[in-house]
Amino acid sequence: MTALPLEALAIPAFARKYGMSCSGCHTVWPKLNDNGQLFRDNGYRFNRGRDNPVTRSGDYWPLSLRTTVGYQYQKKTGVQTDQGFQTTQTGAFGFTGLDILTAGALGEQLSWLLVYTPGLNGAGFRQGGNSGGDLESAFVGFHRIAGTPYLNVRVGKHAPDLPLDEHRILTLTQAYSLYHYHPAGSTVTFEPGTNQVGVELYGHSELDRLRYSVSLLNENNAVLSSNIVSTPTLWGHVQGTHYLDNDFLAAVKAGVFGAVGFHPTSFSTTTAGPVDGTATHLKTWERVGGELHLTFLSTVFPLTLTGVAQYGTEDAALIANGMRRADWVSAFVEAEYTWAINWSVVARYDRSHSLHAGSTALPPNEGDVYSAVGVLRHGIELTARTAAAAQLEVSRSSTTTAAVPSPQGPPAGTTVLLAADFAF
Amino acid sequence: MNNALRVMLGLALLFGASPAAAAAAVPLDDALTARGKKVYERYCTACHGPNGDGRGYSAQWLDPRPRDFTAGIFKCRSTPSGTLPTNEDLLRTLRVGFYHADMPPWAVLGDRNLRAVAEYLKTFSPRWKEEVPGTPVAIAKEPLDDPTSRARGNAVWSTNQCEKCHGPQGKGNGPAAPTLVDDWGYKIVPFDFTASEARKCGNTPEDLFRTLMTGINGTPMPSYADSISAQEAWDLVHFLQGRRQQ
Repeated sequence: MTALPLEALAIPAFARKYGMSCSGCHTVWPKLNDNGQLFRDNGYRFNRGRDNPVTRSGDYWPLSLRTTVGYQYQKKTGVQTDQGFQTTQTGAFGFTGLDILTAGALGEQLSWLLVYTPGLNGAGFRQGGNSGGDLESAFVGFHRIAGTPYLNVRVGKHAPDLPLDEHRILTLTQAYSLYHYHPAGSTVTFEPGTNQVGVELYGHSELDRLRYSVSLLNENNAVLSSNIVSTPTLWGHVQGTHYLDNDFLAAVKAGVFGAVGFHPTSFSTTTAGPVDGTATHLKTWERVGGELHLTFLSTVFPLTLTGVAQYGTEDAALIANGMRRADWVSAFVEAEYTWAINWSVVARYDRSHSLHAGSTALPPNEGDVYSAVGVLRHGIELTARTAAAAQLEVSRSSTTTAAVPSPQGPPAGTTVLLAADFAF
Repeated sequence: MNNALRVMLGLALLFGASPAAAAAAVPLDDALTARGKKVYERYCTACHGPNGDGRGYSAQWLDPRPRDFTAGIFKCRSTPSGTLPTNEDLLRTLRVGFYHADMPPWAVLGDRNLRAVAEYLKTFSPRWKEEVPGTPVAIAKEPLDDPTSRARGNAVWSTNQCEKCHGPQGKGNGPAAPTLVDDWGYKIVPFDFTASEARKCGNTPEDLFRTLMTGINGTPMPSYADSISAQEAWDLVHFLQGRRQQ
């Protein structure tokens, strides 16, 4: 079962800067449309001489806030207690947390993004909150190096370029398991759905119809190996879009992505734990996948069907008690229909399935994740100053586990969220 | 020419109708306007307003103000001053936007959507039901851009008193600049040719030539088609190309 995504990007400061409505850059906020994606890829620029902060009124501040408040009902089966397995249900009023975002263009070729999520114990519908505040994103971008949009660099903590950006999804109770799944017993901590620290080289055609991204990262939260680039992960993504002159199928987008990581399996320690820079015996893990997005009816009010599939494998040495490579497949299909500026519906089915567990003691389907989610979202206020939306969301997920068998079957949860999502 | 035709032509000239107005207007494509309405609602309403009158909720913050489509007056055209633009003119503006203004480039939406919204813009003004677009001005072949041409362009610049608005260095700070307003009474700033490489209606020499010969409707920038020759226009273009490097 997946926690609420902490960071969700929507930056009304840009709408204020350019006088543009949210709908100019978001199919339904926070999800970017092609114009918003191009704006982001251009380093938060429209390139019409009005991007540089010195060209704007001093009244403009590149600062945005976002939070979501509401009521969440949750029912869980197979909950382990000292009194045995139980079915629980909770209903709590709460909020998701707070994102404080600042982003924009610096001079002619630089950009920045900072997203601070303060530690708020009360966040998360009484499910533990986020007690440790953190910079969710912190990068500087260098754009149009040598005058070409095909050469841009971001340095800092950034989101790996994904088939669907998890920080701009419409579902608030379910993240994509494809971006977060690990095989049972895995010691690898890399998750593409989580922002990473590193350097990204990316580029795109003038209209963003062709995009590529390659990120060199230090694996999040892993012990740093003894290397010039410690505990490295390489992530790559290529995506192409073709607009069709057709009333039925308006656009097709396809892409491939992959990653390879080198994770240490041996390190020196002190009583405080492993010592960074001592780790050795790097073993590899890999992921490779593809995506297809079909946009029906129109690109303006689209009905989009998306399918993403991924194969992953990890060396046996990266699995606790591992005796063979672990490999798995993950996939999701998602349908999203925005039939008016302020109405959207989303449905998604997401599954991650272990093909071979690293430990022969485990059944092959150990740790399999199933989830389904449906969302109805209504924009209450969408202007160049603010955005507010009401959201009804229902999700269900379960994870198979043989370790602690429950008579009720695998642990599963059903969540209903009724929320008001707003950003300034 | 029979008498009736003479009377009609006389009346047309008396009331200032252009030759373009005498031709039958092109009917709007209903399917295209229906699609364009959706594009407009998503991308254009915030600035240009739901009625196309340039009074969207963001208009109050924007300088220059968004265009009022109900007047049927368009800045960047290939057609003579005072006439309606061609479809290609509208598309060009939608694709590239306006430099030094808040109109962004919308080429990313694809020509299919842009053609639709261009058609929808025509529903806001009755001019599109009464007139046809003007005939695009001819763009003469560009002569050599050399110091001699630029020196001649400097003379054209002076003779036509361009510096009254644009200033002696082309920085948009001429003596008349503080008094200038557009057709809607909003203060308007003459273009600063030295601020960047960008030009209001396009960055190619042909774009600048075209702007000089068509003027920028709705603003004090007139057409020079009747007062300078094609050679002089090109000389002026070359002179202004030199300004951008300063």
